[in-house]
This record gives sequence, structure tokens and C-alpha cells, in this order.
Amino acid sequence: MTLGYLLTVGTFTGIFMILTLSLNILTGYAKQVSLGHAAFFGIGAYAAAILATKFGLSFWAALPCVVAVTTVVGIFLGLPSLRVSHDFLVLSTIGLNFIVGSVFKYFSFFGGSMGIVDIPTPTFFGKAFGTVGYFGLTFAFVTLAVLTSIYFSRTWGRLAMEAFGEDETAAKAMGINVAKFKIYAFAISSAYAGIAGALWAHYVGSVFPENFGFDRSIDILAMLVLGGLGTIRGAVFGALLLQVLPEALRFIQDYRMLVSGAVLALMMVFQPMGLLGKGSFLYLRSLGILRHFRRGVASGAP
Amino acid sequence: MDFLQQLVFALVLGSSYALIAIGLTMVYGILKVLHVAHAGIYTLGAYMALLVVTHLTRNFWVALLLGMVAAGLAGVLIYRGVYYYILRRPRIVPLIVSIGIFTAMNELFRLLFGPYQHAFPAVLRFPMVITPYFLITQKQLLIIVLTTFFLLMLYLVLNKTRVGLAWQACSQDLSMAGAVGVPVDWAVALNFLLGSALAGAAGVLMAFYRNMVYPTMGNVVAYKAFVVVVLGGFGSVRGSVIAGMLLALVETFLGSLEWFNFPRDAIAFLLLILVLMFRPKGLFGRL
Amino acid sequence: MRKFVIGILLFMFVGLYATAETVKIGFFAPLTGFAAADGHSALAGAQIAVDFINAAGGVNGKMIELVYYDDAARADQASAIARKLIEQDKVVIAVSGSYSTPTRAAAKIFQEAGVPMISAYAIHPSIIETGHLIFRVGMGAPVEGVAGAYLAVKELGAKKIAILTMDNDFGVSLSEYFKDTALKLGAEIVFEKKFPLGEKEFRAILAQVRVKKPDLIWATGYYAEAANIVSQARELGITATILGQEGYDSPKFIELAGEAAEGVIIVTDLNRDSEREIVQKFLAEYEERTGHPADMVAASAFDAIKVAAYAIAQAGTDAEAIAAAIDNIRHMYDVVTGPFFAFLGREAIRPVEVQIVKEGAFRFFHTFTEPEIIIPPGL
Repeated sequence: MTLGYLLTVGTFTGIFMILTLSLNILTGYAKQVSLGHAAFFGIGAYAAAILATKFGLSFWAALPCVVAVTTVVGIFLGLPSLRVSHDFLVLSTIGLNFIVGSVFKYFSFFGGSMGIVDIPTPTFFGKAFGTVGYFGLTFAFVTLAVLTSIYFSRTWGRLAMEAFGEDETAAKAMGINVAKFKIYAFAISSAYAGIAGALWAHYVGSVFPENFGFDRSIDILAMLVLGGLGTIRGAVFGALLLQVLPEALRFIQDYRMLVSGAVLALMMVFQPMGLLGKGSFLYLRSLGILRHFRRGVASGAP
Repeated sequence: MDFLQQLVFALVLGSSYALIAIGLTMVYGILKVLHVAHAGIYTLGAYMALLVVTHLTRNFWVALLLGMVAAGLAGVLIYRGVYYYILRRPRIVPLIVSIGIFTAMNELFRLLFGPYQHAFPAVLRFPMVITPYFLITQKQLLIIVLTTFFLLMLYLVLNKTRVGLAWQACSQDLSMAGAVGVPVDWAVALNFLLGSALAGAAGVLMAFYRNMVYPTMGNVVAYKAFVVVVLGGFGSVRGSVIAGMLLALVETFLGSLEWFNFPRDAIAFLLLILVLMFRPKGLFGRL
Repeated sequence: MRKFVIGILLFMFVGLYATAETVKIGFFAPLTGFAAADGHSALAGAQIAVDFINAAGGVNGKMIELVYYDDAARADQASAIARKLIEQDKVVIAVSGSYSTPTRAAAKIFQEAGVPMISAYAIHPSIIETGHLIFRVGMGAPVEGVAGAYLAVKELGAKKIAILTMDNDFGVSLSEYFKDTALKLGAEIVFEKKFPLGEKEFRAILAQVRVKKPDLIWATGYYAEAANIVSQARELGITATILGQEGYDSPKFIELAGEAAEGVIIVTDLNRDSEREIVQKFLAEYEERTGHPADMVAASAFDAIKVAAYAIAQAGTDAEAIAAAIDNIRHMYDVVTGPFFAFLGREAIRPVEVQIVKEGAFRFFHTFTEPEIIIPPGL
């Protein structure tokens, strides 16, 4: 059977769903475009790896520490967003990839360029997670991320973020504490990226600085944008599409990257709200079909 | 003695940064687009020159000229074919489109020319400078002289021609410029032509300097050039040239220190974030 | 349309035929991304090995089928691919033609699933420490670094050595063993510096090296970095011997460095002047297929497939038996980067070749067969 293979692809897809959901809070709601999400992801992975191999903590004991570390680092790395905006922020987030990667490489505490290996598989009541178990574990966290996102999208925080995302000056005039919410967005976003990193590190079993490069940040943003910026369904769908499609398209493996680059460009030209974003063709169509169907049921027609 | 020699290295490296950053900063000045695909144009220039050198003639000047022409045209094509239609969209749209184009271009080069590095066997007769204090090789002198020439030409275009005036008007306010009779489409297209040709020239020069053409040669350049653009204050050509030289100086001198092992590419971005924290509009930007 | 249907039918037919009559060897390499050049070399080398073996009748009467995927030099891709090779393709054994990061991730999965894996050239020491089913055909960092130091100090008489290290697992582990041994043998390290993978600009560093006047420069790197180091060093008038390793071992190095490559000496596992028939046959076949001469990566992938096929021929398809068969290899001559004297600690033990660039080609310079050099320390 190929169940293990599918579950492996599924586990990575789940990890990327957590990443796109967390980036959605930062970029979708708060409109702080980040091309440095792999840095937060990497910090989570490295924190988990170090806590597991150097301090001997279990996955569960380490997880709160990982979340704490990534939250604090996220707040710290989010500070530039208070000073700079828009394109300047994009460029400094690009810089984060290179800086964080270099720190992992430079300090021997992080394993240097030899990375950290032999990260154990997490256990649950003394039993190591198998492929099925890990898939379940990942999707438990995906569910958590989705629920958090739904909860968050219904709170005042999201409204505030969308307000200053649209127009910062106007939002300030209305008495919104923009700085506070920007930092919130960075904190929540990087906390979830940290969880994704921990899941990744324990699943792959080894971390190297190259794992969390700039190309990874592009991937994550591309997933979110492709699915639909600012929507939870878009974040989930984008990750699913860009993780599964390349696997399914292995028969054209030599052209995969060419196709994904071209698709990304074309998508943004023709459907900039993403495949399932607000007002996108697919979303409107599926809503229309749904409505049609409902009306059909209501009127008793076959 | 060593200091002067390092200065020569920095000058050459800085020339390449400046040539690439000029196109980026000009595009940003007018369209406010982060033109990542600019680095693809840089690579394209190098590959075009490689084709000339391997199939047509070994003459460097022909290769340089055709490389610049190809790069310039490709730049205009990207503008008229893509950016033109998405200028009014949120800023993130052209940025991601640009990244998509850049990825696709890199892959196209790999598929067409193979993943390997190619040597660049152009032939050129050019003098070199030998002094007791430092040495400037033939290729280094070529880069310094050519960059100076290009910058001079650009200065003249910007300040002494109607085109320069039109660009200035466009960078103030695109729709207003149109309203007062500036042929905006032409001005922007010319802007892309010139900026991309300079990036193409940088690609050819670096290919010749390092004897190497390969698909991913634009990767680091793509993002480091942005650092230069930011440090120079978005949209300022003069600022970009100075910032390019400064970055090259810092990289060269830090890079030459035996105890300094922190990865070089990160220095540029550390500098960027520091500068942005304290001067959010760049080192030379108008505050 | 008709062509398409015929194509599909043909594909299905081949597929049916293949599943009935072949033994599958899995393979993964970076065919896209920054490491694509090495991935393509490795794949070509592996395919040549498969074709040679099949032309000679396959193993145990069955043809070998190479199932390969692109990992883009990424660890998570390699993990998924490993699962796919194990579960969907049901490979008997796998060969990694990839870098250390993806190879290490895949090794974990192969070991856990009980499928043997051979790493062709990935150098990270932790790869073979993953478990008893994981082997390496390429030369390990300890051997290469130690041999480099012996060569530098004993054979070339270097007293003052400068070390340039590429900052990834390959460069760092090589330089570590080189430095330790060189110091032990009485040399002095006068300069030491790291540079990132993909660096193209070494002049600033080399100007400092020049001041220290070393007799020899040990510089780790792949061929692109190497070509830049060598040509820029000569440009600055540095005449010291430059000593490289298997990362240099590609005709591309000579093409890119041009005349500056003359006299560069490398420690590697491929002797192009070998009189053994298999070596010359492989080199000729590779050049005919790809249009350029073979490199170390291709040769290592070739040998990894050879070892895999040999083990299957000896032991059938049982994983433990295959592993035992590889462990028991003694004096295997039918390989390009060999001969392999034995597998110790799941690593191939073989003579260390030293090549020198002369008139635009790698030529024989020296061979180390001393046990204290060619057997990794600690075994």
C-alpha cells in the first residue's frame, strides 16, 4: 500500500497549512507582507531540535518552550514593522531569512553548518508516533490553527488589523493602537510558525540551515496568495494545492518549477484574490451552485 | 598597499551592484514596483552574450552590445506584457508576479542551457595598470571604465534631455504627468529599456570577470540589489550608486578579515535593517 | 490523439512488463534547484550503471529498473520520495545521488522501513550512523581530509598552510580532519577562513593569504567555487600549490579556471588514468551520452548502483541479506572509483587517488594505499 507515502505528503501539507494560516494573520489580516516566514519556521524547528537533543526534553515538554521562544523572537523581529512600512518591510523580512540562516550557521550552539541530527520521534504515553499517528498529531494542530484563525477573525483584533491594513493613518485617528496590534500579529503568527517548525523538525529528524531558506518563504507566501489572501479557506486550500500538485505532477518533474513560477505569475494577473479568495471566480461559482442547489431543494424540485 | 588593492576590488564589486541597482531604482521611482525579475534580466544578458561568444564571434564588444540589447528588450517586454496591466492593483500583486517571472526565467535558462556553469571565452584587448601599490587587471579596468562611462551617459540623459525630464515628472505623479502631456507609456518603456540594458551589461561584465554563466547567477544579486536600492533611498539613482559602492566596501573589508566568518550575504541585510530602524527612508532618501 | 493512445498503451505495456520481470532500485537526486548540475551528473552515472548491468544480463536473470525522483535538494521532498520509493515502487534498495541534507532525512525513513540505502557522495558523517542498513560509497570526510594532510605535509613538503573552508557540511568536515592531521604532522596553519557556498569573490581573502606567504593552500569547495579561488589566486600572483578535493573533480573546473587550473592537485577517488577496463568504458560512455566528460559525482553514483546490484545478485531481495552482502564485500574491482578493498563500518575502503591538472586534464599524481590513511579513524 502507499498509505505511508500519502500520509507523509499529508503531514507536510498539514505543516504548511499551519504556516499559511499563521502567515494569513500577519499578511492577510494585518497586511504586513512578509517574505521571511521561513525564518520563523526555522526558529521553531531549531528550538525544538535543540530542546530535544541538548536538553533531552520530550516533544510535549518542549512545545510550550518552543512557542514561547518563537513568540518572543517574533515580537522582536516584528519591531521593524513599527518603523517601516510596505515595501521597506518586505525587504527587511527578506533579510530575516539570510540573517537567521547565518546565525544558525555561524554559532556552534546551533550545530553550525553540520546541522542538528537525531531528533527523536515524539511519543504519546510512552509509544512513539507512527506515520498515522504523526499525521493525526499534525492535523490536530491544523485544526487548532483553523479554530484560532476563525476565533481571531471574529474578534475586534481582526477588525483593527484590517482597518490599519487598509489605511494606517485613518485607523490611528479612530483610536486604534496600531503598534499593539502589529506586534500581536507578529507574535501570533510566529508562534504558529514555531509549532509548524517543531512538527517539521521531529518528523524529518534533522535540521540544517539550508532547510529554512528564502525559497521556502516564497513558497509559503505563494501558497497563501494562490489560495486567497485574507481567508482561512484560501490559506488551507493554497497549501494543499502547492504541496500536493508538485507530487502529483512528478511525471513532468523537469518542468515543475517552470510551471509553478508561470502559474504564480498568471494567477496574480488574472485572479489576484486567489483561487478561493473573496470575489474569486471559483468561490463565486461554487457559492452560486450552492445557492442554486438550495433553492432547488427548498422549492421541492428534483 | 593592501588597502589600495582592496579598494580596487571594492570598486569593481561596487560597479556591478550599482549597474544592477540603477535599473531597479528607476523602475521603483516611477512604477513603485519591486522588480525582482530584474535579476532574471541580468542573467539573460549574460546568456545572450554567451550565445554570441560561442556561436558568432569571440569579440567582447559585440557580445556586450547584443547582451544589452536583449536585456533591454526583455525588460520592455516584461513591462508591456505584464506590469502594465497590474499597476493599479495592491502592491503585493506585482511583487509576487515578479517573483513568479523570476523563478520561471531561472528555470527556463536551466532547461535551455543546462544546469552547469559555462565558461565565457570572450576575447578583448584592453590595457592593465600595474603600480607598486596595487594591480588593476585588464578585466577590472574594463569594468571600472565601462561603469563610469554608463553612469556619465545616464547622468546626461537624466539631466540634459527631455526624456530625463519626463521621467522626473512620472516619478512625481504618473497620472498627472500624463495629464500635462508626457507620453507616459513611452517614458516608462524607455525607462525599462535603459535600466534593463544596464542590468544586462552588468550580467555580461560579471560573466566575463568570473568566466562563468549559470542559471542561478541572479539569485543573490536579486535581493542584494534591493538592499542597495533601499540604502540609496528608493528611487534615487545617485544614492544607489553611492550605496552600491559603500556596500561593496564594507563587504570587501569585512570579508578580508581573517577572524570575520559571519556569512557575507547577511551583512548586507543586517545593514539594511539597522538603517531602516534609524533612517526609515534609507541613507540618502529624502526624509 | 492516436499517438497519445498508443503512447498510453505502450506505457502500460512497458509498465506491466517492467513489474513482471525487473528488480527495482530507487534513486533520488536534485534535478532542479541550486544543486541541479550535480543531480543530473549523478542520474546519468546511475543510468549508465543500470544499462551496463542490464546489457550483461541483469542480476539473477532479472533486468534492473531505476526508479528516480527529483528531491530539489530538500529534506522534506526527500522524506516523501523515500516513502514513495518504499511503498509505491517497492524498491529493493535505494541509492542517494543527493546532498547531505536530503540524504540524511531519507536515510532515517529507509532505516525505519527496513530498506537498505547507499549514499553515493553525500559526505555528512551522521548519514551512515543512521542505522545498519545505510551505506556510503563515496569517500568520507575523515579519509579525504587525512589523506590531504599527508599529501600536503609528507609528499609535498608544505610547512606553512593556509586553509579556506566552504561553510557547509562538506567543506567544514573536510577542513576539520585536514587541519588536525596537518598540525599533528608538524605543519603550521598560517591562515584560516570560511566562505559561504556559492561565493564567487575571493580576491579580498586571497590578498590576505598572499601576505602570509603559505607554501600550500588547502581550499574546500565545489568546482564553481574552486575555479574562482584558483583563478583569482593566480591573478594575484600567488604561486603556492593549491590542494583541493573531490569537489574540484569535474572537467567543468578546468574549463572554468582555464590556465590557472594547471598544477592544481586534488585528493579524490577517481583515477582517470586507470588502466582498468571498467573505468575507461565508463568515461567513454558518459562523454558520449552527455557530451561532456564525467565527474566524481557521476562516478560515485555509478558505483553505488554497482554495489547495490552486486548485493542483490548475492543475496536476493531480503534487506538484511543485502546489507550483509554489502558488509561482506571484499576486493570488488568492477567499480570506477575503486577498487573497493572492503566495507568497514558501512563505508567503502579504497585507495585514495591524487590527481594533478596537466595540459587541461586530470592526470595521475599519487595513490595512497596505506591503511592508516585509507581506513577512517576510529575503525
